[in-house]
Amino acid sequence: MNPVRRFFRRYVFSTVGLLALLLFTNIAVLVVLLGISEVKGPSDRFQIVDFCAHLQGGGSSWQADPEAIGMLKEERAWAMVLSPAGQVAWEYQMPAELPRAYSSGDIAQFSRWYLEDWPVTVWALDDGSLAVVGRPKGSMAKYYVSLGRDYYDFLTTLACGIFYINVLLVVVLFIHSARRVEKAMGPILNAIRSLADGKPVRLQEDGELAEINTSLNRAAAYITRKDNTRAEWIRGISHDIRTPLSVILGYASELEESGELPPWAREQAGAIRRQSEKLTSLVADLNLTTRLEYALRPIDQKKLDGVELARQAVSEVLNDGLADCYTLTFMEAHPGRHLPVAGDPALLDRMLSNLLRNCIRHNPGGCRITVTVAPAPATAAGCLFIIADDGCGVSPAQLQTLNRGGPLASTQPADPAGEHGLGLRIVRQIVQAHRGRLSFSNTSPHGLTVTIWIGEK
Amino acid sequence: MNEDKTILIVDDEAELLEMVRGIFVRAGYGQVMTAGNGPQALALCAARRPDLVILDVMMPGMDGFSVLRELRRTSSVPVLMLTARSEAEDKFTGFESGADDYLAKPFLPRELLFRAQAILRRTSPATGHRVRLAAAEVDIENAAVRRDGQTFPLTAKELQLFRKLYENAGRIVTTGALCETVCGPVWQGYECTLATHIRHLREKMEANPSRPVSIVTVKGLGYRLDLPDAKGAGR
Repeated sequence: MNPVRRFFRRYVFSTVGLLALLLFTNIAVLVVLLGISEVKGPSDRFQIVDFCAHLQGGGSSWQADPEAIGMLKEERAWAMVLSPAGQVAWEYQMPAELPRAYSSGDIAQFSRWYLEDWPVTVWALDDGSLAVVGRPKGSMAKYYVSLGRDYYDFLTTLACGIFYINVLLVVVLFIHSARRVEKAMGPILNAIRSLADGKPVRLQEDGELAEINTSLNRAAAYITRKDNTRAEWIRGISHDIRTPLSVILGYASELEESGELPPWAREQAGAIRRQSEKLTSLVADLNLTTRLEYALRPIDQKKLDGVELARQAVSEVLNDGLADCYTLTFMEAHPGRHLPVAGDPALLDRMLSNLLRNCIRHNPGGCRITVTVAPAPATAAGCLFIIADDGCGVSPAQLQTLNRGGPLASTQPADPAGEHGLGLRIVRQIVQAHRGRLSFSNTSPHGLTVTIWIGEK
Repeated sequence: MNEDKTILIVDDEAELLEMVRGIFVRAGYGQVMTAGNGPQALALCAARRPDLVILDVMMPGMDGFSVLRELRRTSSVPVLMLTARSEAEDKFTGFESGADDYLAKPFLPRELLFRAQAILRRTSPATGHRVRLAAAEVDIENAAVRRDGQTFPLTAKELQLFRKLYENAGRIVTTGALCETVCGPVWQGYECTLATHIRHLREKMEANPSRPVSIVTVKGLGYRLDLPDAKGAGR
């Protein structure tokens, strides 16, 4: 998935998650509050029931025990008991202005609303009497709600609907806003990624982020100009040097093979030819490493056979002639099995060729070189190329440098072959261009082993 | 054999032109012509009909690719591109334009000669051309092998394989390259059949097929054709 899309998807998911958390928290707080109010809030029904438990008597004769009186005092309340006939049968601190007899209409009215502005609560006693407790004026609010069932259901559904629509609206708005951010930021992030990959960048210089886009365009143009200048310079030098080198190499080679010249002159011509070949190799390597460095050389991704690639690289070295002090052996870990890899055949051939020629160059006294092709470990598809020699190897410090991918100068401090150090650099660049892996280890008891993994895709 | 061949060398660098001309003259080529630019090369091609053109890519005015495209409109003369540009895409452009081979500067004279000879051998095989092996003689034109007074015909695939080996005589030709010669780019799985073809070739060409001396197996890599009158990369 595109990293920019992944970034914004994660952004949207985290936001939706936050909203869900918010909703959950709200619900949790509501539940806790309800619980607290249930436990600690004024529960009139309970209180009046409690109070009524301390009333004794019946008909027109009622008594309240001291505990009931204590409860009323605590609430600064007054109380009365109405007999079934509506007469006050018992009273406590009842305001004098209130009547002492009530019709059923009066009772129906004050039981739901107020008794002369006193908020009252009522409770029916066993014999049909009615206990009434009045609170101080303004200490309680009483509302009476009465709705039709259909209308109540409609209201409930509506409330739920509005709630869900709200949630949906919040999510949609959020996604929409994230999309807008993505639209504005996406090209910028892609441009930064392209810059990191060394690809050209050109952003529209308008909108809210025009300033950033302009800066990025300027940075990209600067980097491209700098890279192109450097690459063109090396390319130009390498091109211009080739024709004079051809003349030098051609005449030196002809003179070296000429039977009309004395041996010392042919030997000198041979030295010119060898140095010209070294220059040729240096120019070619310099050109290739620059092109790989600045991604100027496109990687031709083809499906290839790893075994055949290695066979061709080994054959080329053998066909070019190998001194008797060297042996070059090709081995297949699983003979007959094809090991598909994806890559640029010319570059992969160059990679293997560089490694093989390195073994020869750094072991002038001779060595045994083994090229093994093996399937990649179970976790990865592709092919392993293992190039091992039993030559002089490298020091532990150099091995560490090689594996760290540090600057790769010649592995030999006093390199008689005059290695310019680009061979391994090119190998590393080719492996990186193919998203492969490269590692170095010591061959037992001596020598160097290079292991390269190249994937199938 | 080279005296009757006409070579045309095209390059804007006079010194290089002279050097390459010298290489071909010393190698025994009878007629070696030179041209310093594209139009001159096209005129010489039309007038003298060379057997091979050695063509530089980067020339002022008309570049090598343009010369080659123009040439291909009227002629199928083999062309070896000789250039200071070695990038793969340049090679592809050269081959797409109809080049027969491509050699990057700087080069060794011997490599240039080998490539020129290989192209000439491919494009105008001598009539009745025969290849002498240690125990047999192969008549490429008639697809036949003569050994111990007997004649063994070669199948089309055996002839293809032998040609490939002969073009690279003295050099290892990998199993994949040989398989590709016979059955194209998708050759995986053909190795066993290749081994059978090689066995048949040996039965026809070797005195003792179990101990081959002409078509030699290079373990793990492929095969090499060794000619009795050649050493190493020579013919």
